[in-house]
Amino acid sequence: MKSVISLSGAGKLFGGRQVLQDVSAEIGAAEFVSILGPSGCGKSTLLRLIAGLVAFEQGSIRFGGVEVAAPSPEMGFVFQTSNLLPWLNVRDNLLLGVDLDPQGQRPDEAALAALVETLGLTGFEASYPAELSGGMRHRVAIGQALARGPQVLLMDEPFGALDALTRDRLNMELLRIWQRDRKTVLLVTHSISEAVLLSDRVLVMSERPGTIIEDVHIDLPRPRDPSTTREDPAFGDYVVRLSKLMGVS
Amino acid sequence: MSKLLNRDAAISAGFFLLIGLAWEYGVRWSGVQSYLLPPPSAILAELWQSRGPILSQSLVTLTEVFWGFLIAVALGVPIAALIYFSRTAKRTVYPLFVALQSIPKIGLAPLIVVWCGYGLASKLIMAFLFAFFPIIIATLGGLASTPAHLEEHFRALRASPMQSFWRLRVPAALPSFLDGCKVAMPLAVIGAVVGEFVGSNDGLGNLILTASGSGHTTLTFAALIAVTILSLLLFYGVAYWERFIWWRAA
Repeated sequence: MKSVISLSGAGKLFGGRQVLQDVSAEIGAAEFVSILGPSGCGKSTLLRLIAGLVAFEQGSIRFGGVEVAAPSPEMGFVFQTSNLLPWLNVRDNLLLGVDLDPQGQRPDEAALAALVETLGLTGFEASYPAELSGGMRHRVAIGQALARGPQVLLMDEPFGALDALTRDRLNMELLRIWQRDRKTVLLVTHSISEAVLLSDRVLVMSERPGTIIEDVHIDLPRPRDPSTTREDPAFGDYVVRLSKLMGVS
Repeated sequence: MSKLLNRDAAISAGFFLLIGLAWEYGVRWSGVQSYLLPPPSAILAELWQSRGPILSQSLVTLTEVFWGFLIAVALGVPIAALIYFSRTAKRTVYPLFVALQSIPKIGLAPLIVVWCGYGLASKLIMAFLFAFFPIIIATLGGLASTPAHLEEHFRALRASPMQSFWRLRVPAALPSFLDGCKVAMPLAVIGAVVGEFVGSNDGLGNLILTASGSGHTTLTFAALIAVTILSLLLFYGVAYWERFIWWRAA
């Protein structure tokens, strides 16, 4: 498989302290990869390095064969907080990325309606973020990243603050979108079951200084579903294996 | 709900009516001379009788406040932006204004009258001086309160510095800026009246001064009420704009 993102020996120092050390990985086109690690291991920082949001000192990170230096329009970033602008309605928030891009073209009405439909936001186009539930705000944030049609979706614990039920539903929607659009997804999470449920591969990180200690392929059948996939004995085996790697059990 | 509101309104109205009545009959029964404390009925009558001069003097004061406040906003906002974006300005312009703010502005009034005369200019400058600093501080606070996670988000969306300023920092700063205007507006009225006290030929401050100087206490009170109403109207004129920045609580 041709790799879209490739890291080799990437390292990052914060005030002389090594937070990431010798991170190497290859992420292929249309792959769903999770980065799993204990809190404070630098996994969010790693995602920001890949996104070109944070500069780094050691090694190299390439996106589409080119060294990452600044954010690329081909990468959509979904943050931990939903990051909507409170003064814009759902529609304008969805299109913010497009509007800020000098070359950006607003999608036509049909395409926009389809996006709103996919996100389950039909009827809320004119609502403001303060009028939405937490889950809906995250949908808008994902939609905003998708609206620019990026090749890669980088997600930093996007569902961390949500209740389990909402989280399951958004996970399913994310899987559906991913399967339909065949985008490359790189998801940072600290939830082992979320990582197993969604991913083709799980990259397990160590405590700080963070580095990738294991690359686990998840060979569960697709399409996956929270209720049935979790019944699969293999699912439990992956969870146990990853827990051990993270030193949980 | 509306019934409850009506009851609240009735309680408020009753309370103020009670104060008014106590004042009215307290003055009448205690035999206090009306040149010391006139009863509310006399003040209301005076307000009606002298409505012509009171209105024309109010217009003079309103003009002074209006321009003083407008210039305070027109200069305060860009200066706040300059202090926010430039380290040099933060080290030079900002302490200068803090120092200037510490000068009692009332003490400056005679100087300004000497420099700018008895006309509009000196009063406008006094209103400006009173309103200027709160607007700078509020704008500065608003700009600084832009959430860091949204700034990072704008970077991820590859927004230019101009886009980040106009589409993120400005709207984020508006609620605080408006709060500053709400503080600054009544201060601008005080500034203009102080200016009129120190040296003027007209305006409500001048009216208060001449009326009390000639023992015309009811007119003094009537002019005071006019200043208060002017200040309240201007305050609510500023507060009106709050409906356009509904995101302040979000």
